[in-house]
Amino acid sequence: MLQYIVIGLFSVLAVSFWVLQVIQHDRFEEMAENNNQRTLPLRAPRGVVFDRDGRVLVENRHAYSISIVREHSKDLNATVRLLAHVLGLDPAGVKEIVDRHRREPTYRPIMIIQDATLAQVTAVTAHRLELPDVVLEQVPTRRYIDALAAHLFGYVGEVNDAQVASDTSLKSGDIVGQQGIEKSYNSLLMGQDGAKRVVVNSVGREIRTLDEDEPAEGQRLRLTIDSDIQKAIEDGFAAAGEGGLTNAGAAVVLDPRSGEVLGFSSLPAYDPNAFASGIDRATWASLNNDGQRPLQDRAIQGRYSPGSTFKMAVALAGLEEGIITPDFTVYCPGHADFYGRPFHCWMDRRGGHGTVDLRRAIAESCDVYFYTVANMVGIDKINKWATALGLGVMTGIDLPNEVQGLVPSTQWKLQARHEKWYAGETISVGIGQGAVSVTPVSMAVYASALANGGTRVTPHLLSAVDNGSGWKPVPAPAPQSTADIDPDKLEAIRDGMWRVVNDPRGTGVTARVAGRDVSGKTGSSQVVGLQTHAADKTNKSLRDNGWFVFYAPREQPTIAGVVFLEHGIHGGNSARLAHHILETYFAKVDGRPVPPSPTPDTMKFDFSDADR
Amino acid sequence: MFERRLYHHIDWALVAAIFALCALGVVMIYSATAARTTSHLYLTQIYAIVIGSGALLLTLSLDYRAFTEKSHLIYIGLIALLLYVMFFGTVQMGARRWIPLKFVNLQPSEFAKIGVALVLAKFFADNRGTPSWTDLVIAGLLTIVPLGLIAREPDLGTAVTLVPVFLGVAYLAGMRMRILGILFLGLVLLTPIVWKFGLKDYQKSRISTFLDPSQDAKGAGYQQIQARITVGSGGLMGKGFKHGTQGQLQFLPVAHNDFIFSVLAEEQGFAGVLVALGLYLFVILRSLEAAQLAKDRPGAYLVLGVLASFTFQVIYNITMSAGLAPVKGLTLPLMSYGGSSMIATLAGFGLILNVRMRRFTN
Repeated sequence: MLQYIVIGLFSVLAVSFWVLQVIQHDRFEEMAENNNQRTLPLRAPRGVVFDRDGRVLVENRHAYSISIVREHSKDLNATVRLLAHVLGLDPAGVKEIVDRHRREPTYRPIMIIQDATLAQVTAVTAHRLELPDVVLEQVPTRRYIDALAAHLFGYVGEVNDAQVASDTSLKSGDIVGQQGIEKSYNSLLMGQDGAKRVVVNSVGREIRTLDEDEPAEGQRLRLTIDSDIQKAIEDGFAAAGEGGLTNAGAAVVLDPRSGEVLGFSSLPAYDPNAFASGIDRATWASLNNDGQRPLQDRAIQGRYSPGSTFKMAVALAGLEEGIITPDFTVYCPGHADFYGRPFHCWMDRRGGHGTVDLRRAIAESCDVYFYTVANMVGIDKINKWATALGLGVMTGIDLPNEVQGLVPSTQWKLQARHEKWYAGETISVGIGQGAVSVTPVSMAVYASALANGGTRVTPHLLSAVDNGSGWKPVPAPAPQSTADIDPDKLEAIRDGMWRVVNDPRGTGVTARVAGRDVSGKTGSSQVVGLQTHAADKTNKSLRDNGWFVFYAPREQPTIAGVVFLEHGIHGGNSARLAHHILETYFAKVDGRPVPPSPTPDTMKFDFSDADR
Repeated sequence: MFERRLYHHIDWALVAAIFALCALGVVMIYSATAARTTSHLYLTQIYAIVIGSGALLLTLSLDYRAFTEKSHLIYIGLIALLLYVMFFGTVQMGARRWIPLKFVNLQPSEFAKIGVALVLAKFFADNRGTPSWTDLVIAGLLTIVPLGLIAREPDLGTAVTLVPVFLGVAYLAGMRMRILGILFLGLVLLTPIVWKFGLKDYQKSRISTFLDPSQDAKGAGYQQIQARITVGSGGLMGKGFKHGTQGQLQFLPVAHNDFIFSVLAEEQGFAGVLVALGLYLFVILRSLEAAQLAKDRPGAYLVLGVLASFTFQVIYNITMSAGLAPVKGLTLPLMSYGGSSMIATLAGFGLILNVRMRRFTN
């Protein structure tokens, strides 16, 4: 009888093995593969960014990230404790990171440190056996050389849920551009992540590689930016900061023929490198709470009164509408009354400009002249010609989140305020005050349009793309519009602008570069009402903003732009920055060495109260 | 003593099956430990087989009656060794099981099966007729003493293998099935009480984990799930010699030892499993035949005593290897890595061969 029991038991065993090994084989085979095969992501480096001369602006460096893969955790709490200890972190903080990702699938790594120090990498490597669920990954990380032009490059960061939802090619954990060209050209820069399938043993050690799908590096971009111009701008701002003038402002320099952006700055800035390795909360909070708003890109998002730089638009409206000629004169006693209210010229305390024609009115920035012309032309014609020159409209620059300025009109006031436009309101608009507001980038387009005869070029940063098969030039975007302007009439305005810089009585002589026929226009705009203004000139935050728009040379200009100094007191101070930019530019054109970085002493900023 | 004609009565088929299983074991140990280049466990196993063969020759050449007659001395010696281990044994992996000798570590618990089989064979053979309650209690005590000592080491797995020895011999001696039934019923009734008061939490978790391994996939249920994956992924023909992933990459713990059969199933597939099962079944049936052929009661009792623990261990280990039984530190006799187990098992088969060989002698 015993033998039958034994035979019976062995038959049961044989059937059991048959069920496991033959019937359920596929299921267990898959489980065995899940056990010993891991797919590791190989991060694709983002594309390298060059300036117009082929100098590297943004590249990649190797950073190490440290993550926990819960799928392989035997005791997650023990891992958190040990890892925090090994890395020298607060266990509660590590736990919090893990908790935040608790609902994600367990195979997805939870990144604890994005850019580990060498000591941390070594420490984790040494504890490999105790931490089989901790993954050390080499991640290419952005490096912004010299941290120039922060707002131009923007920054990268982990993709957010909304971005994943709107773009199917993105997946959680991807690093994408969040601002600047990193964002606008993200699809070119991003590259294709690869993967590596490896066999691992029970403690997670890699035994061998089964196959490898190489990551494809993002496309290389060549920008229109000229590093020397960019540096000249930022050096100028640095000198203004050191000299105690201001550390805020923006500058945009274009090629007025094409709209190529040669230099682009907004200050104060941030360090994009801090974002590249995962910005910590304290830094992020301090950037957000900073009263100077370093995260704001003033060049495309700041809206300011243009002040006297607006006068060319008023002049053009008067000339093109046939209301004035260049020889039209106005007597400036220093002030004038319109609609029963007195309006002052900045020369009021010195007795006014006397009789001025259009050219002199521009050169010496006579307010009374432009009050008069604006009153004669009317708001809607000013709006028409200011818009034709690029003000109050978007420039279409290839950067995200550009903001639109405003040039008022009767229609605008009716729609926005449900009120009629009063003729008296036009007077202030004549000198770029009142409801007018512009962005620095639109001012650069304005300067370009005055330089090239009325074409609103589209500012753009991308000049060529290399997807691995050589550089392919990117055609310049079409101009936004071209105004039909009588060259003779425009020439009168341009005469005035030349005299701003080259006539001894001009307001922008500080921008003068010998033999280069620099043309431009200064402007300053009040930050608060006149009375408070006069009462408290010493308070830095109440100082006027200083503008300078320029182009050069006078005939066939090849460079145009704007320098805006927040609380820079005078347009003349901005003209000093422009001078350094232009010196640098022409030195390069001639093949001479670029001028040395300016200092507060060489810049000779004007702190006097004299306006405009 | 060893007469020449006895040579012709040796069950060569059984010997061949036994050594075939030993060889299969060595091959699988080699495969399971090949990844660890410094380890030569398969060589150690070959030495153990050589020494075990010597032990087999020893237990074969002397008349088995000489062993049963002196079984009380063997039994006392065994208890002494177990007591020695208890106080002076070396500790490995949290258990005090070994006596360090010059070249090998001796594990006396492995030899307890033979000792208990011998002493029970003599005890029941001396008490003719259906065993009385007193007989059963005395036999039970003879089993419980070494069992308790081994369980204290702790080595619950090996300790439990003494129970089939007792049941096998007592059954053959004519213990009423009713008594077996009562014992079984008592056990069932005791279960809830033991569950409530007798088990520690970790022991409870082991049992509940067995019933549903996925509830603790990384802890106690890990080995069981891994065992199932190992066996199931082997398929019909296996992944090939040294090509198993579960054993090679150490997802399966102690693959060369408790889970050697899983390695076989993974690398040689269902086909290999059938061959091994066939060999074990042949060994067991052939040994049962030896018990039937035995010319006296001590002989039959001895064979069944030795065979009962062997059979129990084989069936339990193979069931466990497929992840179908809770994981216990119970080796697969003849195949698992382990010197003492190999020597004791071969010595036991020496006795079984001995009984069959001497079925015509007086």
